[in-house]
Amino acid sequence: MLTLLRDLRRLRQHLDVAPPERAASLAIRHVDAGSCNGCEHELTLLSSPHYDLQRFGLGIVASPRHADVLLVTGPVTSRMLEPLRVAYAAMPEPRRVVALGDCSLGCNVLGTAGAIVGPLDDILPVDLRIPGCPPTPEVIAHALLGLISPGPH
Amino acid sequence: MIEQSYREEIFRARAEGWHFAGLHATSNGARVRTLLADSSGATRLETVGARDGVVPSIVDLFPAAGWDEREAHDLQGVDFAGHEPLRPLVDHDPQLDRWTVPVRGYGAYQVAVGPIHAGIIESGHFRLHVVGERILHLDARLFYKHRGLERAAEGHTLEEGLAYATRACAACAVANGVAYAHACEDALGLTPHVELARVRSILLELERMWSHLNDLAAVCSGVGLAAGNTHFAGLTERARRLNAKLTGHRFLFGTVHVGRSELTLHRDDVRAAADEVSTLRTDARRGWRELRFNRSFQDRLPGIGVVDAAAATRLGAVGPAARAAGLADDLRRSSPRLAYDGFDPVIPERAAGDVQARIEQRTLELEQTFEILERLLDGRIGPATATPGTPKQLIGIGRVESPRGATTCVVERRDDRIERLRLRAGSYANWPVVAYAAADNLLPDFPLINKSFELCYACADR
Repeated sequence: MLTLLRDLRRLRQHLDVAPPERAASLAIRHVDAGSCNGCEHELTLLSSPHYDLQRFGLGIVASPRHADVLLVTGPVTSRMLEPLRVAYAAMPEPRRVVALGDCSLGCNVLGTAGAIVGPLDDILPVDLRIPGCPPTPEVIAHALLGLISPGPH
Repeated sequence: MIEQSYREEIFRARAEGWHFAGLHATSNGARVRTLLADSSGATRLETVGARDGVVPSIVDLFPAAGWDEREAHDLQGVDFAGHEPLRPLVDHDPQLDRWTVPVRGYGAYQVAVGPIHAGIIESGHFRLHVVGERILHLDARLFYKHRGLERAAEGHTLEEGLAYATRACAACAVANGVAYAHACEDALGLTPHVELARVRSILLELERMWSHLNDLAAVCSGVGLAAGNTHFAGLTERARRLNAKLTGHRFLFGTVHVGRSELTLHRDDVRAAADEVSTLRTDARRGWRELRFNRSFQDRLPGIGVVDAAAATRLGAVGPAARAAGLADDLRRSSPRLAYDGFDPVIPERAAGDVQARIEQRTLELEQTFEILERLLDGRIGPATATPGTPKQLIGIGRVESPRGATTCVVERRDDRIERLRLRAGSYANWPVVAYAAADNLLPDFPLINKSFELCYACADR
């Protein structure tokens, strides 16, 4: 185990995202509304040693009641419409909605009209759009950090 | 084929050693086709016409056909005589008691999980029937992510159809794409050139490499071992960066085409990639060695979520999950369209079919993948094609060993247009196996069991 911890220390010497100027935090609730799993896989790596977004106060929370941000992936399928609305309704104010990935923005979506009811803009008030298919962890990191402290990262 | 002879044909094929590889209804539900395969990789398609919308079920002969028949009922409106009760699978409208198995008795209650989960996880609903902490039965309801991809692909050209197969799932984009390309080339009578076989095999193994590294990270996270999770997540990131360096995309999107490959790489870049694979190999080995000697981690794994060889065969388990139970099935052994000459599937010494065996299986397969990549990443990579050589057919079949197991694609065409596309990914085959594995275990072990399979929801839902 010591080897792994030593590796971690070495890896963290080469972090790809600089720390923000002022500390703050963001509790994120992720909802997969029909993605291809690409956005999820990139999102997962935000906690990998190359990015380690938790050091900036960004955390994924297990309940919408604890969340500042609803992070939505996928084109919004008809079957995820209701769970998505319930999750949003359960969030405390102020709350923000982030559309992650091209599908959530309605770009190049594949599927039938009956199965897909998006884009997210038609369903919830979107505050931040993160394009990409899928957006890389670096792009996601910079966009989310912008929600904490506006300005360039 | 008339109804009775269809069943007799399937019955006889089973006795001769053929196994179930997929079932689908044609677009209008007029016919049902069952795909059978044998251990040499040969396939055959048995077709039966629906009479008043009904065909005989084969679920008693091949329980693995259960999900396929339920899907054909919900999406193409076919009824299956003898499949009782024919529970809804893709259709979410019916009441709870119509899609769940009745579990009654003193102290029995249900734990409902999802469709939204408490982390970064795809959407799906699990209904666990439990007494105390003991799981009696699991009903999994997926298809929350159903986008109607197969239906939407109908009427498009074979080239356009590729997007529907690859975009079904980012984690299996190459496997699904190559299975689709193979199906189209089978239908068009095209045989891949040696270089095309090599490029596709490299892409498939690059996908398996990051996928298996990710699975090891996921299982560490499943037991709360942050150091192990971090180590393998770091390796996953490096593997995806290598993908981007080689192809311009971290998930290798846009690399697979029907009948050709356009990827061009200079000899030096290929050598650099082989070097990075060797480094990843060293670091993955070191991480695994650490995990092997971590008692608190290892103690969580044996005897959990057992799927033995008999159950794996009966349920039609595929991929690492089947091999961890001792079944040496791997489509790479019989893939004349790819560059896997002399490939021999590996199984763990202790093939107990539990969480421990499934994790060890990933590490054994990673070694093979590193080896294959080091061998194939030698010399420049150039554009390649497939050339006419076999008779054209209206139905093409492609089968590829994805990181999660045998992925089968059937393409029915009229001229250059898709009449029906069916993609049966390894995850689709294994989801019912997860439900089987969960029974009789403790509720807190379910996330660990689930992560030891690490299946895609997107692949299954389409």
